[in-house]
Amino acid sequence: MVIDVHVHPTGYPQVAQDPESRAFRDRVYQRRTEDALSAPIAMTGKPSGGNGGGNKNFDVLFTRMDHEGIDRFVLLPLDLTTRYGGWIVSNDEIEQIVAAAPDRFIGFASVDPYRPDALEVLEHAFKDQKLAGLKLHPSKQAFYPDDPMMEPIYKKCLEYNKPIMFHSGMSCEPDCLVKYARPVHVEEVAVKYPELRICLAHFGWPWATETAMLCLKYPNIYTDTAAVPMDSPEVFFRHIFTREWGPTWFEHNFADKVMYGSNSPRNHTHGIEKLEMRPDTRAKLMGGNALKWLGMEVK
Amino acid sequence: MVKTTTIELISKKEFELIRITKDILKAVEESGIQNGVVFAITAHTTTGILVNESLACLEVDIEKKLEELVPTFDSYNHNHFLPSYGAIGCNAPGHLKSMLCGNHAVFPIVDGHVVCGNAQDVYFGEFDGIQRRKVYITVMGE
Repeated sequence: MVIDVHVHPTGYPQVAQDPESRAFRDRVYQRRTEDALSAPIAMTGKPSGGNGGGNKNFDVLFTRMDHEGIDRFVLLPLDLTTRYGGWIVSNDEIEQIVAAAPDRFIGFASVDPYRPDALEVLEHAFKDQKLAGLKLHPSKQAFYPDDPMMEPIYKKCLEYNKPIMFHSGMSCEPDCLVKYARPVHVEEVAVKYPELRICLAHFGWPWATETAMLCLKYPNIYTDTAAVPMDSPEVFFRHIFTREWGPTWFEHNFADKVMYGSNSPRNHTHGIEKLEMRPDTRAKLMGGNALKWLGMEVK
Repeated sequence: MVKTTTIELISKKEFELIRITKDILKAVEESGIQNGVVFAITAHTTTGILVNESLACLEVDIEKKLEELVPTFDSYNHNHFLPSYGAIGCNAPGHLKSMLCGNHAVFPIVDGHVVCGNAQDVYFGEFDGIQRRKVYITVMGE
């Protein structure tokens, strides 16, 4: 099974059609509405600021998924209640999207750690909405992962055996300090909660080496490939996999730790396809590791 | 008189030639215009409108030659981070293939019929699929 673990569904019909929701994202990402409306259609999800063209259904999305050979998308919401008064994509919207196509989507929850009812929101997401994990964005939500206030949230994830996807490393979004998302801020979490499965998204770039160190040291830390290239995906991934990381690091050390994630698979898969690796390593990268991280592995 | 209709297409591959001749004939017939011209115009910058003979072998030749001229994998300046997109623009080959093929085709209308050669078919060229696309068909005349 091929799983893309990093998709932002802002252009999906359950999200993009609502004018209030669109206006909220425009405000959060400091975009003029006319710019947002003229932005390219987010057929498969864009970085979370994208509003997309408001697709009416999933016909283009599923055609693309089939073309790319992707079976499932992990969909990521974002709760910005205390900083902005709303959600980029809400847990309720994720629940609706998953209900529309449960064979294609795996829905995650989000929670703003500063909201007084954070644990209730999370409990509802896991217990009632059956969401499969938690997305946290330290930069946009302005918290350090090793802040003691986070501990009840981590314990709730453990209680329900749910993994956490941390945004890690650079974010190009406005009002989004990178200092919060440095990979090493997750180290103490990994130590205190060795059973908690953690993904440091985007290779933690530009701290890809720091991410490698954490993946090497802690069995419960994973990373994903949803980095934003600055040149073609094939050049960028060759650089990450063979230069920022030593040429043998991936296959010799991290074959069980890197998951395919795209932000949007358009063009992204070309970069992954061009990387040379053993077929069994590729199978892990494209889905096997995700099943393990999601807790869906058949043993 | 000018009448414009819009057709919507969903490409199913990254490169795809989709015949739209019948859509053009239908638009002309429904317009009621007897003498004039009809335009097929793409709404996009990584697509094209082509007129050619509808043969599978030629379609392969067109794709191969365009790929030789504008390889999918090359060092394009467009491959850089675009803040307004929140992503890189890595579809330079689509833009360049679009430039080579042009954005429209035009045919005369005489006595209510589109005048074209026996071998001529009109294709919508997708060079950056899979996407939802629009083509404007504008019928102009009397």
